[in-house]
Amino acid sequence: MSKLRSYIRTFTLWELWQGLGVTFVNFFKPPVTLNYPEEKAPQSPRFRGLHALRRYPNGEERCIACKLCEAVCPALAITIESDVGEDGTRRTTRYDIDLFKCIYCGFCEEACPVDAIVETRIHEYHMEAPGENIMTKDKLLAIGDKYDAMISADKAADAKYR
Amino acid sequence: MAEIQSFTMNFGPQHPAAHGVLRLILEMEGEVIQKADPHVGLLHRGTEKLAESKPYNQSIGYMDRLDYVSMMCNEHGYVLALEKLLGIKAPVRAQYIRVMFDEITRVLNHLMWLGAHGLDIGAMTVFLYCFREREDLMDCYEAVSGTRMHATYYRPGGVFRDLPETMPKYQASKWRSQKDVDRLNEIRSGSLLDFIDAFCTKFPGCVDQYETLLTDNRIWKQRTVNIAVVSPERALNLGFSGPMLRGSGVEWDLRKKQPYEVYDRMDFDIPVGVNGDCYDRYLVRVEEMRQSNRIIKQCVDWLRHNPGPVVLDDHKIVAPSRIEMKDDMESLIHHFKLFTEGYCVPAGEAYAAIEHPKGEFGVYVVSDGANKPYRVKVRAPGFSHLASMSEMVEGHMLADVVAVIGTQDIVFGEIDR
Amino acid sequence: MSNDLVKIEVDGKEVEAKKGQMVIEVTDRIGAYIPRFCYHEKLSIAANCRMCLVEVEKAPKPLPACATPVMEGMKVFTRSPAAIAAQKATMEFLLINHPLDCPICDQGGECELQDLALGYGRDISRYNERKRVVKDKDIGPLVSTDMTRCIHCTRCVRFGEEVTGLQELGTTERGENMKIGTYIEKSLDHELSANIIDLCPVGALNNKPYRYSARAWEMAQRATVSPHDCVGSNMYAHVLRGRVKRIVPRENESINETWLSDRDRFSYEGIYSADRLLTPRLKLDGEWQDISWDDALQKLASVLKAVAGEKVGVLASPGSTVEEFHLLSRLADHIGTTNLDHRIRQRDFSDQVNDPLQPWLGCSIEDVEKAGAILIVGSNVRKEAPIIAHRLRKASLSGSNVNVVNHAEYDYYFSLDQHIHGAGLVEQLAGIAVAAAGNNLPVSVANICDGVRPTAAQTAIAKSLSDAESALVVTGLIAARHKASSVVRALSAVIADATGAKFGSLSESANSAGAHLAGLLPHRGRGGALRKNVGLSAAEIPGAKLDALLLFGIEPDVDLSGSGNPVDELEAQKFVAAFTPFASESLLRSADLMLPIGTFAETSGTFINCESRWQSFSGVANPVGEARPGWKVLRVLGNLIGADGFDYATSEEIRDEFAAALGEIAPDNRYSGTRSLSLLDDVDSAAEQQDVPMYQVDSVVRRARALQLTPEAKRAAGNVS
Repeated sequence: MSKLRSYIRTFTLWELWQGLGVTFVNFFKPPVTLNYPEEKAPQSPRFRGLHALRRYPNGEERCIACKLCEAVCPALAITIESDVGEDGTRRTTRYDIDLFKCIYCGFCEEACPVDAIVETRIHEYHMEAPGENIMTKDKLLAIGDKYDAMISADKAADAKYR
Repeated sequence: MAEIQSFTMNFGPQHPAAHGVLRLILEMEGEVIQKADPHVGLLHRGTEKLAESKPYNQSIGYMDRLDYVSMMCNEHGYVLALEKLLGIKAPVRAQYIRVMFDEITRVLNHLMWLGAHGLDIGAMTVFLYCFREREDLMDCYEAVSGTRMHATYYRPGGVFRDLPETMPKYQASKWRSQKDVDRLNEIRSGSLLDFIDAFCTKFPGCVDQYETLLTDNRIWKQRTVNIAVVSPERALNLGFSGPMLRGSGVEWDLRKKQPYEVYDRMDFDIPVGVNGDCYDRYLVRVEEMRQSNRIIKQCVDWLRHNPGPVVLDDHKIVAPSRIEMKDDMESLIHHFKLFTEGYCVPAGEAYAAIEHPKGEFGVYVVSDGANKPYRVKVRAPGFSHLASMSEMVEGHMLADVVAVIGTQDIVFGEIDR
Repeated sequence: MSNDLVKIEVDGKEVEAKKGQMVIEVTDRIGAYIPRFCYHEKLSIAANCRMCLVEVEKAPKPLPACATPVMEGMKVFTRSPAAIAAQKATMEFLLINHPLDCPICDQGGECELQDLALGYGRDISRYNERKRVVKDKDIGPLVSTDMTRCIHCTRCVRFGEEVTGLQELGTTERGENMKIGTYIEKSLDHELSANIIDLCPVGALNNKPYRYSARAWEMAQRATVSPHDCVGSNMYAHVLRGRVKRIVPRENESINETWLSDRDRFSYEGIYSADRLLTPRLKLDGEWQDISWDDALQKLASVLKAVAGEKVGVLASPGSTVEEFHLLSRLADHIGTTNLDHRIRQRDFSDQVNDPLQPWLGCSIEDVEKAGAILIVGSNVRKEAPIIAHRLRKASLSGSNVNVVNHAEYDYYFSLDQHIHGAGLVEQLAGIAVAAAGNNLPVSVANICDGVRPTAAQTAIAKSLSDAESALVVTGLIAARHKASSVVRALSAVIADATGAKFGSLSESANSAGAHLAGLLPHRGRGGALRKNVGLSAAEIPGAKLDALLLFGIEPDVDLSGSGNPVDELEAQKFVAAFTPFASESLLRSADLMLPIGTFAETSGTFINCESRWQSFSGVANPVGEARPGWKVLRVLGNLIGADGFDYATSEEIRDEFAAALGEIAPDNRYSGTRSLSLLDDVDSAAEQQDVPMYQVDSVVRRARALQLTPEAKRAAGNVS
């Protein structure tokens, strides 16, 4: 009996029809794809993307050149030079992140005692010329300024877990 | 008729079915393979050596990049070895989270494998379905760690952060109506655990779909049944582990045989093969996905009802919370020292192995008492699997090499390290 | 003696210890570390930090290991629960008032408080109350203060009391209000005072020029040797990305112990001064032009090949390395000139044949503090060689008779038996010589001592020198620069001879001894061999009519002390080539070609110090601009002018060749002059003496920004010679 059924299935291409059935059912389901880049997938507030340097609400740079991020960076992507600032405080004179070296592990953000260096949810960026992979202090601060609201909201959302 | 000469053929390292950077030197007698000589090292990044020059925690991120389709499992092996050396144990909730994410990772890995394996030997469609489910699991990764692949989430003493109570949601746009968005956000309305729960509910149905497409498919069977048969004895002698070993009928699974974390509290079965061919290994892996799903479900249930710390409260090893760090001298000092120097690990050596999706993934750490490991050795399951390549493909056709590479589930990140 | 030893037990291990030793000394010896803040090997015991509490059997409470003497059968537990609890509690108290400064504190990463908090403290605080705040002090340009961070270990206070002798810091008030400070706001003014930076276990006292510029963990530590005095203090340069960020002492018990003078510590700033010469430059029609190394050396070689050998002069700074001296002297041999000298500040060359082969202290630096009686002649020793002054202070504290004969009064901060000042050196020494030798005066000084009646003070000095078991007579740099230095030397030698004392001298800069041995002298060649035709001395070279002159590391306006104006004289020379790290004003005026060479930090080499100790070091920093180590420049120059055997690959090769050529030469200070010396009028008066200010001794120090802001430098600016 089962042998007969097996023959029938073989000759009627039964399992192939079954497979096509799966395709057929999915044919009528709504698509799972997105119209990227017009439409974006949801992103977690914990997302670790492009870096930014933040400021205090009064405009003062947060970074105090403690170099913890530089020390903890496994990929040695961060280079900091520091000196006494104009107001006598500890300040960076250079803060470079090499995006080619960075492995986006988030340790710099974890290490920062003043929430200055953060990884934002920005992940759509590109470089066109050699050297653009180096995020200088000015570039990082500009990102921090531009996306301050977004960064603050993300950090607030995750604050209770850290 | 002219006599066919035996000749040597180069397979890879740019071949799309070479799973990355495998280079095989094949000695062929016509279409039949006499010998296969895999060349390794094209993806060698010196992870083990690199680890010797960094404080212990800084290497966690590099473990992700070993087997880059089962990220957290690699971390798990490394973190377990450190915990063994340090003589600490993560809080129970952290252990459940780790087990849950290990299993999520297993599903991620097997989906990747299934899709790629199918694609390699002619089954286009299944790849798309696998990646549909992978997307959801990637979202789980992102929700806890902030990255979709290289998580750096496990830490000696627990995990970095607790599971989030909300999931990010789709936004309505001119490309998608509110109704559509509501439908998509339905499983995202609750916490991460709700999201995973919903996934667990739907996932067996998805596996059914893959099976409908493949298990009985005559082409699939023609390409896999009786291909690369490995007897249980040979499998053991070749140093196989994981699904490769179980596919040959040896019931060996570290989660059962040497339970770590909370696997001894989990209810699941180990599937084993009968013939030891590619088809059996396929069946074993598909069944493993179902079993992983069961484990994930159990973890979700436990985690829902048992809140608690996810990392040890010992700030000599684990950095203090940010609130403590900002207004407490002791905590600030510990934060500072942990992020610059790291912690010192007592002199000694430890080997910790976990049941990785690909087999036994072990990390052997030797400490000389400093803040950096004296030596780290990674036991990558894929390496011994790849070593058996010649034996497995001998006498088979050239096209079967692709099936064997697929069935071995090779990832060069861990083989070359 | 065995009854001086007692047996104690540390953590279950039996250890032998000397009677009267403190527990912490024993545990340190066997490597059982006990945490401490206030205890320091070189300082007295204060026992006020309470961090080193250990459990001792039968003692009711934990005892401080630094202040508990060992006793027979004592059982010490350093890591028992009681000891750990006591240490933890102490640490908690120390951190109560410590500010949350780690991220901005320069000590972060090399902080004893951090390390011990991690190793011996709690991991979370129980203290929520307000923290104490202490106002910062301004104690000068070298040491920054953040007194809120102070944990009152009083190491800095004890350092002032016990090591420098000048108590600059002290404590005021008590309990929680206790503060460390200068009481009346003032700058630290001792030449060793910056050592409190190393002593301070926290970030309260820190390196001011280095402030905020680097972290301990990112710098490479490279060993080097001080180039500024004849002591050759051992030090480490901390280098970040090829730049010296700071200098710290390298422990060497037989030279500088754990100390370092401020001059050695902060002079590195001069390396990066704005007037560094970055490329070779040539003066064409009165205009300076940057040229390539190739062109510059070709130009110099062609000049040297064109002129007659005896019309070439070479002046080198005594701070150059042995390797450079050796190559310079070989170059001079090849060219055929004997007009070469390094004694740029010496003014009396009349008796130079009787000078020793190399300047020598007469004993090892360590032995200075063991001498029973010491006579210092013509030396502002604290400024000339701060480490020697520290050894003298130790000698004085341990009961030696220390006597000084000087033209002016200087502060010493230790007790002197006889302190003669205000009169001429020769006059005073003659008196002592007569008191010491009576009528047995040698012919060389008989003329000068004729009719001299020793005063009571002079007689006392002579007596103490001859009474002491081991006595030492040391002439300083003021004596060496004396216009009748040969007389001063002869008299001092006579005194030493008559009293049985060892006789020694301090010498200019780091490597006078090396220059002497290499033959950078007009009258003596390599190894001290007398030259047949004696050339021009350092005083004569600038004004002589020469065809080519090589200046090696010299700034003519401040380094040379000839009779005329050296810059004018050099300007009148036909061709002056300056090997110099700096494009200084005077060289821009007087030189025709400038070749950038590296400072001490950028070159490898060897210094021979005043105790004849050879100390080699390698370059620690990247050269600034196109500067190259001096020996490499000389090597290429040697090849270009066709000298043989200038194919050295390393500076070690040069050193080894030089050492082999020298053979065994033991330093010897015996004076064997038989010529009767006489004294010109007026050269002995105080106004004629030359004391080069401490922070003006060489080109690097002169450019060290922070050092030039010190009270010492400001005082000197009023009367720079």
